[in-house]
Amino acid sequence: MDKLDAARRRAGRIAVVAARNPVSAAGGVAVLVLILLALAAPLVSPHDPLKTDFRRLAAPPDARNYLGTDQVGRDTLSRIIYGTRTSIFVAVSAVLLGTTVGSVWGLASGYLGGRVDLVSQRFMEVLQSFPDLILAMAISMAIGTGMPAVIVAIAVTRIPFGGRVIRSVVLSVKELAYVEASRSTGASPLRTMAFHVLPQCLAPYLVLATTHLGVAVVIEAALGFLGVGVPPPTPTWGNMLADSLTSLVPHWWLVFFPGLAITLTVLAFNLFGDGMRDALDPRVYAGVVRAMTGPRRLRRGT
Amino acid sequence: MLKYLLRRLIFGLPTLVGISIVIFVVMRVLPGDPLVAMFGAEGFQRLNPADRARIMSDLGLSDPLPVQYVHWMKDIASGSLGRSFFRGDRVSELVLHRGPLSAEIGVLSVLISWLVGLPVGITSAVRPNSLADNVGRSVSVLFLAIPGFWLGMLIVLASLFWFHYKAPLVVVQLWEDPWTNLQLAIGPATVLGLGQGAYIARMTRSCLLEVIGEDYVRTARAKGVAERLVVVRHALPNALLPVITVSGILMGFVLGGSVAVEQAFGVPGLGTALVTALVERDIVVVQNLVLLYGVIFMLVNVLVDLSYALLDPRIHHE
Repeated sequence: MDKLDAARRRAGRIAVVAARNPVSAAGGVAVLVLILLALAAPLVSPHDPLKTDFRRLAAPPDARNYLGTDQVGRDTLSRIIYGTRTSIFVAVSAVLLGTTVGSVWGLASGYLGGRVDLVSQRFMEVLQSFPDLILAMAISMAIGTGMPAVIVAIAVTRIPFGGRVIRSVVLSVKELAYVEASRSTGASPLRTMAFHVLPQCLAPYLVLATTHLGVAVVIEAALGFLGVGVPPPTPTWGNMLADSLTSLVPHWWLVFFPGLAITLTVLAFNLFGDGMRDALDPRVYAGVVRAMTGPRRLRRGT
Repeated sequence: MLKYLLRRLIFGLPTLVGISIVIFVVMRVLPGDPLVAMFGAEGFQRLNPADRARIMSDLGLSDPLPVQYVHWMKDIASGSLGRSFFRGDRVSELVLHRGPLSAEIGVLSVLISWLVGLPVGITSAVRPNSLADNVGRSVSVLFLAIPGFWLGMLIVLASLFWFHYKAPLVVVQLWEDPWTNLQLAIGPATVLGLGQGAYIARMTRSCLLEVIGEDYVRTARAKGVAERLVVVRHALPNALLPVITVSGILMGFVLGGSVAVEQAFGVPGLGTALVTALVERDIVVVQNLVLLYGVIFMLVNVLVDLSYALLDPRIHHE
């Protein structure tokens, strides 16, 4: 009974946070729908995304193919639904990989300081001197096209963000009295980092991981469009847009719908990310964490 | 000021060397054999190993990596930037031929972003939560999400469909035929400009809102300064600094985005050249162009830092 009560209270708090920012909440819901769509792609899509139909080449939208077919007769709607899988999987894994590598690196370089810090700072600077898409293009081309290559390529462009933000958090936290106290009681650097510094990096990490998802979706689509993304026949939105250019006069449904899918997905991720950033702002952070984790009984008075 | 500029450029040098090394390493771990890309799988089979070795050494690809790197640096120092694998042209010629168009697109897009973003941001900030503010903000949020290359494709498609208009597809320099040149540049510049404009509008709104709340603005109002002048003369200059910073950071967005947007419009600029080289695996062209983009990005950010001192008398670069 007590548990149920707590759960209900927790849900109530999340509702309060969401109600204060309905647009972001809508973004969050849209993200959820997209993930469900990606998971349920085989159940939802009306046709096989890879099956060609030579009696219906480049057919405009009608009752059979709701969003028309492409030049080799594949159903656009099904390809878009399957494209959700690639797009979301690549974006989420790339951002998680890049942000995590960057954050761990930032944590180490900020805490250890000295020469390690100097060298890593210069390296981050070099990485940040490339425009995102161009670096991703070069890497994706170099390690060979394929989904892992695309994920790594996008992840590398996210490393400096994680590195810089987390480093600055570590630099400010490590001077605080409680960290000093832990060090003075003889805790090893590793222990201090893990138990006292790391928890403070959680909120900025979450913000980084969510705010960069939209960019990652766009980069993935652009790589596909430029021919260095996830290779065909895997249906991706970028590949679909690139394919549409193979006919002399592109068919409007082959241009409009895949791009619309990209736009809506990026919009959903951006709104969700903005909401996360607002919610995890240090001033309101404590409240949200309480809303997510329930009341903390042990540390009353903090 | 000059001293600051020199120091920035000198400190930038190690970063530049770092950038070149990163590109070099990335290009050389390439698993695909460049010969396969050059001759096709069949043509590659027909070459005997001696021919392969000869061509590789002709291209300078069989030297040890440090030697190859030094060769590249020499090519850069001599200004030729090396030769394309496929056409045998100097990369410098490619850059001189196609660079101006891309540069024009970049500059125009920044102009458009300010022309669109600033008024929208100011209107929003002057009447927060009004109808105009909400519309402006929603449109900005939308344009932050629209991928530029898709918007470009839609524009090309719509102009073809409704006006039977297609922009020319050959390189025409501004000084040769300004009208044709403008037709090439305006599409990509508009798309990139609107994309940046959304960020500029957002930044302008939030900075201006913050500044308008400050005491000296209230003082100006209390003196009886007209509201328009309060915003334009008193508040705006202080709000502009972060906006300029964002504009500099957005150069990365412009440089990267222009590659895809040029492709969408079929404009034969540097970005299109880079994509072609990537598909052909023309390592020499790719490494030079990527380095060039990196250098431009860096220089723009130095310029942005310099502009602070011009705009804000409190900042001295010493």
